[in-house]
Amino acid sequence: MGTAPIKSMTSRQRVLAALRREPVDRTPVCNPTSVATVELMDLVDAHFPDANRNPVLMAKLAATGYTELGFDTIMPVFSIIQESSALGCKMQWEQKDNWPTVRMREPIWTDVDDIKVPKDFMKHPDIVCVLDAIKLLRREFGDEVAIVGKTMGPWTLGYHCFGVEPFLLLSLDDPGKTMLALERMKEITYLFGLAQIEAGADALTLPDHATGDLVSAEYYKRFLQDMHTEFAERFPAPLILHICGRTVDRMGYIADTGMAAFHFDSKNKPQESMETVHGKISLVGNINNPETLFSKGPEEVRAEVEANLAAGVQMVGPECAIPLQTPIENLTEISRTVRDWHHAHPHVH
Amino acid sequence: MAELSDIKNATIRAEVEEFVTRPEEIARNVALFTRAHERMQAIAAGIIDGDDDLVDKLTAEALKAGHEALEIMDDGLIAGMGVVGIKFRENFIFVPEVLACARAMKAGMGHIEPILSASGVDPIATVIMGTVKGDLHDIGKNLCIMMLRGSGFEVIDLGVDTSADAFIDAIETHGAPIIGMSALLTTTMPNMGKTIEAIIDAGLREQVLVMVGGAPVTQEFADDMGADGYGKDALACVSLAKQLIEAKRRNAPA
Repeated sequence: MGTAPIKSMTSRQRVLAALRREPVDRTPVCNPTSVATVELMDLVDAHFPDANRNPVLMAKLAATGYTELGFDTIMPVFSIIQESSALGCKMQWEQKDNWPTVRMREPIWTDVDDIKVPKDFMKHPDIVCVLDAIKLLRREFGDEVAIVGKTMGPWTLGYHCFGVEPFLLLSLDDPGKTMLALERMKEITYLFGLAQIEAGADALTLPDHATGDLVSAEYYKRFLQDMHTEFAERFPAPLILHICGRTVDRMGYIADTGMAAFHFDSKNKPQESMETVHGKISLVGNINNPETLFSKGPEEVRAEVEANLAAGVQMVGPECAIPLQTPIENLTEISRTVRDWHHAHPHVH
Repeated sequence: MAELSDIKNATIRAEVEEFVTRPEEIARNVALFTRAHERMQAIAAGIIDGDDDLVDKLTAEALKAGHEALEIMDDGLIAGMGVVGIKFRENFIFVPEVLACARAMKAGMGHIEPILSASGVDPIATVIMGTVKGDLHDIGKNLCIMMLRGSGFEVIDLGVDTSADAFIDAIETHGAPIIGMSALLTTTMPNMGKTIEAIIDAGLREQVLVMVGGAPVTQEFADDMGADGYGKDALACVSLAKQLIEAKRRNAPA
């Protein structure tokens, strides 16, 4: 953060500057995962599950992040299942008040040789839906707001396609085979991500759930650090890595990948996290979802936003995709607090 | 009083020395493993190493040599998983390693379970377990179930994506005094609270104790939604279930 005056920025300029760790007129408010809620669905008449499968509804619901909540980003990919659906995973599309999900107990692959990308992968309706939604949003909002796409990393695809338990056991029983599986799956990450950039996404969220709740920091280093570095080099747009849960023990490795930003969970303290990454990567987060945004009120939200701002977190927002029943007033409080805080700290950029 | 050096199995001795740090847990493990037969110590070491082939072989051999199924379960399999649980709680190992240990335990239980079932030992209590609606993750729940069964509970496993109605049906069908709900996602955690509300609406809250767990769940969240207890991991789940049952029985009208 600097202290020299910065002229007023658009939301898009603000986000892109924060991703480059350049000065901003104020801290951007971001949603690298999802801010879809039932209230927002009702407001614009774009409901789950259709808003995950119909580009017009997807764009309509995603836009509310900017138009209703005052965030600086629009994230049309609410879930983490679009490419898994296109790969042939068994899906549970659910209803308005529940997230679509992959039936991981019924995996489609059991061996590394099973990994095959269907020929029509990029033409699958659940892939095309995201690309068309991004195009619609870009057409509607121009350069006003940052549009962020989302492509799953190979570790998460491993959970979806092999099942969480078999994939984690494979990583222990046969690390070589696991690396080979990751190498093959990373092309899926690349294909879908690149197409979203070509469709108009300014940046990509790359969820890859090698969380401290499941695997060690050494696991992250051994299996994923080089691959994430390669993604940062290959993709022609900034990447926001997302990993839920405890991650402060691996943030040093993550900071060295060259990714633009890391979306971190409230299990990690903002100040400690900032100190761990040594300014090598922007941090996005980390307002608690279940206990604060879902369960409490604007006052508690305000306190968490201020803690992040005081720590110098470059982009503020929920820690992960928010529960669908989260009240709108708690989400708008994030943007309000950021604006108020910068008003009270006019020299912090 | 037994000393760490009295434990005969070198693997167990090294594991307790390196990874068990709480004085009461050191005392308990030293007492347990110095008392346990060397064959049981070897089975526990196999569990800690996550070696399912070895545990399978040693369990079969121990039964053949005349050891009781209950002794093998308590002093070998569960004793080994106790150390695994401590290592997991303290972040010395993570889920892949725990899964390998659980696989080894399953190999041993394959020999033990049919014998215990046939012996007609009364369970401590029945526990209904399920991952909440909208959540398809079950590793944590399955580890809890394995440890609960190994510790003498009967468990009704409702699987994943369990609706409030399914929990209510199971409470009514089995008359279980405890349910356990699991969630791995912050987006599905609210469904724990919804299930508790549905249990209240069904008029069943007084008869059932509710425990919750899962990676994003905290004691504060459990308290806020009105659960009776929160377990951080499978070991905590077992001790919580025991505490809740003991308290319920203590407070029951004479």
